[in-house]
Amino acid sequence: MHEVGITQGILDIAIENCKKRGYTGIESIKVKIGKAAGVMPDSLLFAFEAMKVGTIAEKAVLIIDEIPVSGYCNGCSSDFSVDDAYVITCPKCGHLSLRIDTGRELNIDEMEVF
Amino acid sequence: MKVKVVTNILEANERLAAENRDIFREAGVYVINLMSAPGAGKTSVLERTIKEINGRLRLGVIEGDIAGTDDAQRIENLGIPVVQINTGGACHLDANMIREVMNDLPLRDIDILFIENVGNLVCPAEFKVGEDIKVMLLSIAEGHDKPLKYPLMFQESTALLLNKIDLLPYTNADLEKMRKDSLSLNPKLKIFDVSCRTGEGIGDWVNWLLTIVKK
Repeated sequence: MHEVGITQGILDIAIENCKKRGYTGIESIKVKIGKAAGVMPDSLLFAFEAMKVGTIAEKAVLIIDEIPVSGYCNGCSSDFSVDDAYVITCPKCGHLSLRIDTGRELNIDEMEVF
Repeated sequence: MKVKVVTNILEANERLAAENRDIFREAGVYVINLMSAPGAGKTSVLERTIKEINGRLRLGVIEGDIAGTDDAQRIENLGIPVVQINTGGACHLDANMIREVMNDLPLRDIDILFIENVGNLVCPAEFKVGEDIKVMLLSIAEGHDKPLKYPLMFQESTALLLNKIDLLPYTNADLEKMRKDSLSLNPKLKIFDVSCRTGEGIGDWVNWLLTIVKK
């Protein structure tokens, strides 16, 4: 629901980093988005296409690297990783008390500049 | 040319939220981010809380809604300083919105500031606004399946108010399941059964508030 704000965040950070390093344009921006971050990749791409116009990222491609939800189960003392956006119970033993290690990322990873 | 950036996209919001928190702390204000689905009773809980506290602490309220000033009017009628934010469509409050209105309140004359977030069980849990703690409401008629459907808000909250407890005999809601699932997601969650209509449980909630603020 808040993909426009997140897209603005991506553009602001990328443009600032590009200018700070003395480059004039951006070719691509790679972001890592956790599956449980509450962000829909399609909406993000849609917002990016609309919002990059008129900026130094106008020709840039947004590359989204989706990070699965993974963590550790306190019930059966084992690591797990799932494809779903949210994990409530351990896929192995059904225990409810889980430590989530990945899946909530919302990071810019790297970009290509010229 | 490839360059590594490695920056949290919400960094700007997180930074602003941390700054807000510093400003609130410096002014001696304890801040509670109050969240729930629309209609769970956030404003009614605030009205009851204001009456129950009855001047023992100085309160302030920031009201967040997509549109309208009804909620702020209800709080103002009780003589409490209040500011209304209209997000104009945005589904949650963010740190910048709070920054823009915080100085409209007499911060040095407030002990607890309630920030009533936009009614929504999803996005408000993702954005810090400068709060000390998050408190959420779930009303009985919303159903016992909500904790497992919207886990993040339950995981992020310090306290949960199960509101409209007086409706329990008229619904199929399983109160024990609500409690059990909420605690499974967040074993430290402090749960209060309350009713804004009858006043049940409001005293316990207010006593808890008085103790955490003193800390």
